[in-house]
Amino acid sequence: MHNPFFVTYFVIIPLLSAFLISIIGKYVKHRYVEMVASISCFLLLVFSLQGLNILRKASDSVLVYKLGGWALPFGICMVFDGLAGFMLFTVNLIAFLICLYSINYMEKYTDKPKFFTLFFLMLTGMNGLIITGDLFNLFVFLEVASISSYALVAFGTEAEELEASFKYAIMGSVASCFIFLGIALLYGFASTLNMADMANVLSTKPSNWLIPFVSVLFLMGFGLKAALVPFHGWLPDAHSSAPASISAMLSGVLIKTLGLYALMRIFFNVLGVSGIYLSALMFLGALSIIVALVLAVVQWDIKRLLAYSTISQIGYIVLGIGLGTPLGILGGLFHLFNHSTSKSLLFLNAGAVDYSINTRDLREMSGLKQKMPVTANTNLIGSVAISGIPPFHGFFSKLIIVLACIQRGFIGYALAAVIGSLLTLSAVMKMQRYAFLGELKEQYKNIKEVPFLMKFSMSCLAIICIVGGILLLPNLKFFLDSAVNVILEGRDYGRLVMEASIR
Amino acid sequence: MSALIAKFYPMLIVDNLSRFIFWAILLFGALIAVYSFRFMKEKEGLAKYYLYLIFTIIASLGVVLSNNLILLLVFWGFLGFTLYSLINIEASASATAKKTLIIVGGTDTLMLLGIAIIWNLSQTFRIDQMRIALDQPIAVFAYILLACACFAKAGALPFHSWVPDCAKDAPLPVVALLPASLDKLLGIYLLVRLSLNIFVMNNAMNLFLMIVGAVTIVAAVIMALVQHDLKRLLGYHAVSQVGYMVLGIGTGSLIGIAGSIFHMLNNAIYKSCLFLTAGDVESQTKTTDLDMLGGLAKFMPITFAGALIASFSISGVPPFNGFVSKWMIYQGLVERIAAQKTVVISVLCLLAAMFGSALTLASFMKLIHAAFLGTEGAHKKVSEVHWTMWLPVMILALLCAVFGIFAKQIPLNKFVFPAVGAGEFVGFWASSWATLLILFGILIGFLIYFLGNTKGLIREDNNYIGGGAVGQDERVSGVDFYNAIRELKFFKYLYKKEEGKYFDIYEQGKNLLGFVGKLFQFLHNGVLPTYLVWALLGTAVLFLTLIR
Repeated sequence: MHNPFFVTYFVIIPLLSAFLISIIGKYVKHRYVEMVASISCFLLLVFSLQGLNILRKASDSVLVYKLGGWALPFGICMVFDGLAGFMLFTVNLIAFLICLYSINYMEKYTDKPKFFTLFFLMLTGMNGLIITGDLFNLFVFLEVASISSYALVAFGTEAEELEASFKYAIMGSVASCFIFLGIALLYGFASTLNMADMANVLSTKPSNWLIPFVSVLFLMGFGLKAALVPFHGWLPDAHSSAPASISAMLSGVLIKTLGLYALMRIFFNVLGVSGIYLSALMFLGALSIIVALVLAVVQWDIKRLLAYSTISQIGYIVLGIGLGTPLGILGGLFHLFNHSTSKSLLFLNAGAVDYSINTRDLREMSGLKQKMPVTANTNLIGSVAISGIPPFHGFFSKLIIVLACIQRGFIGYALAAVIGSLLTLSAVMKMQRYAFLGELKEQYKNIKEVPFLMKFSMSCLAIICIVGGILLLPNLKFFLDSAVNVILEGRDYGRLVMEASIR
Repeated sequence: MSALIAKFYPMLIVDNLSRFIFWAILLFGALIAVYSFRFMKEKEGLAKYYLYLIFTIIASLGVVLSNNLILLLVFWGFLGFTLYSLINIEASASATAKKTLIIVGGTDTLMLLGIAIIWNLSQTFRIDQMRIALDQPIAVFAYILLACACFAKAGALPFHSWVPDCAKDAPLPVVALLPASLDKLLGIYLLVRLSLNIFVMNNAMNLFLMIVGAVTIVAAVIMALVQHDLKRLLGYHAVSQVGYMVLGIGTGSLIGIAGSIFHMLNNAIYKSCLFLTAGDVESQTKTTDLDMLGGLAKFMPITFAGALIASFSISGVPPFNGFVSKWMIYQGLVERIAAQKTVVISVLCLLAAMFGSALTLASFMKLIHAAFLGTEGAHKKVSEVHWTMWLPVMILALLCAVFGIFAKQIPLNKFVFPAVGAGEFVGFWASSWATLLILFGILIGFLIYFLGNTKGLIREDNNYIGGGAVGQDERVSGVDFYNAIRELKFFKYLYKKEEGKYFDIYEQGKNLLGFVGKLFQFLHNGVLPTYLVWALLGTAVLFLTLIR
């Protein structure tokens, strides 16, 4: 049996680095701050790989770390299982690459140590939310991540950024209220905050009103964090105003962790909902796909375009997961991973363009491919991957989602997914055409390709986009399968965690 | 080779149909590669060009060999991406590249949906195990979705609009390879597979195909008639010819399907030949505007010969190959009429096909006259192209002649009939005998010409106006004769609409999207209270619907 202590590293390392950086940042050169940041991100990546290794050996393994040695359900615990392993790897992979990218990119801004402090606090929140086994802890981590992201959105401190951050903060707080209310109601009913224990209590003690009511509260709360239509109003502003590396982080992993992961965990593993709530999820998903993409196509600001496309891709994931079948959940989770990588890549490209020519307006750019070949080519790869052109990885997840929709007989939803795919293609190809192709403008004759680390992270993500499809091969499928199984086990989660905690 | 592929069964499979398309793809790939050596010499990004060329050929081979629909879709979709990248080799073609990728890639996603439905109906992805009856609406829907992907790839209406744009803007070898030959081969290959293997066709679907085919033939050829640009003219013909193939498959009779497979092969041959001659003209004169060209036959005799043969072939002049396959398609239609199956529509389609053929001849008369004959154009005296550029043209022209004269002996018996599993047909065009007769007729003509002492009867002189030589600006180019058509009342309206991109599904989609987008943008006014209201309204609706 593995020592479950390693799961605490996912919180300890980023939290420590956040404080370390904020303390030493004033006194040492930025180079050391960068070193601390990249080393701790790298360590996190290594630990998440170790987690994957555990899952590879036994995909149903559950590791429980009891804080202070208190037995469940009295103490707080941290739980590592298939879904957590999947999310941890996704988050920390993206975080590592974005951290490297930021080292160069954040030269544009003044205060690097503050940036990395907030970055690591956000990472703490996300990692903590993923591994926690306690509902209130989940809320705390959610707020840690949210508040640091409010600050990061406002990092440029121009009028636009502050306005976006304000909107984001207000709407995020409303969502937090709903979530908090839901948690309070659940606590009042089940007299426990431990998620495993709560799952057990809820399966033995039925309630007619609580679960529907709480489900809607969570649907709204986490739906807003995940930016499902009609709760998406904050996202385009926030994601386009933040520094590009943070936009990539927000779109790539933050909304998925805070919104989707938390929703999946609570819906499937704690509340054990099914039927009409999943239908509602699917409906919101399909709605998000279409509405957001129509809006994406008409944008001229690169990052706004990408932000709207993010909403629609979240729709795909929710549509897949809402189907509730093994195939649908597989498609949804695979799309989650694929979208994390491809959308981060696209935001990093947008950042690279912004870095070089200081504008985000597509109408002002042209022919940048001649001067920025790496950015242009990785952008092409990210674009075709996100719009589901084979053999890039987005194709496979969309294929699985469409197959799963048809399998359940939802032709309308499948059609929405397909039309969405077409619209995504139009949206991202617009970016390709206006930014990178065509004739180079006179005023951009002297621009240069971005520095090495930015190129490096973009290339890594592009490579993942190209070969991502191999995750469906039998040898590597444990990565997705173990996560799918956790969702499918439903409220058995409670029993499994309890058993694992005694071992 | 078959043994190697058999090892990958059930992922890959090779049968008579896929075998000859396999070799055809390799042939076209090789010819275009040879052609590109010279033509693309001065372009940038050559390594990328050849890389994508090889990818294209591999993916095309993958499509015809796949026995698994998902695998087929992967190769098929990847072709859209390679086409996009190949068009982008030409720096100014980015708008066309985007349009192409959106039309082709968009229909690929429709195909994905169709495949998902097929999978649900038959519980397998293996093509050799599928026989789906078109008796329920969902199966028909799936068929139409897949057919749309075929139409877009081959360039039939209403997904045709990328082909003429592509023909004009993309690098020429790319046009000759993809829209002119490989995309046709693959699109029609899949349509034949759909109609023969995957689905059991019924009369309604046949009618659907016939109507799409007939409309494509006539609409595109009418557009081709008034084009002033050599490449764009050829692009519209590339669309029009697809109509014949779709029509042939739609007849549902074996000879019609065999005819359309043969036409697909022939079209790939003469159409890439024509595009390559257009490339020769472009590389020597630096223009493809028919108003500027003229009298090239003297300077580029080999290119002229190739263009002439291919033009005869595409217009269905015997004894070249285009005639034989069109003849077979007509036969398929006649068979339908004889069998009293939807006589009116079949007769109309037959008329449309023949009318289309006549207009094709008319527009190629224009092309040949305007580019190669007539008085000299604005260009300088030019020389014949390098041999790597005329050799592919000659090989293709030779194939046009051989496949026409020995139609039965070589292409039909070797490739086409085994592919559809058929043998003899009644009332078949005896091409070799006919060729002998034609040659005999030509011989007699020559004899009369030389022996009949016509010397004094004809006077040859240069054009003149008012006793002076015709200046460059007063020159009548071959194009002007056809402007009369443009002025006809109905056609005038039609051309105006087409030039306003009224029939272009891409532009219409863009307009619609822009309209809906404006509407949605109105609701996203950037004011926080609005967004909060949306969110809270959404929550209220969720409460009302989910809590009973």
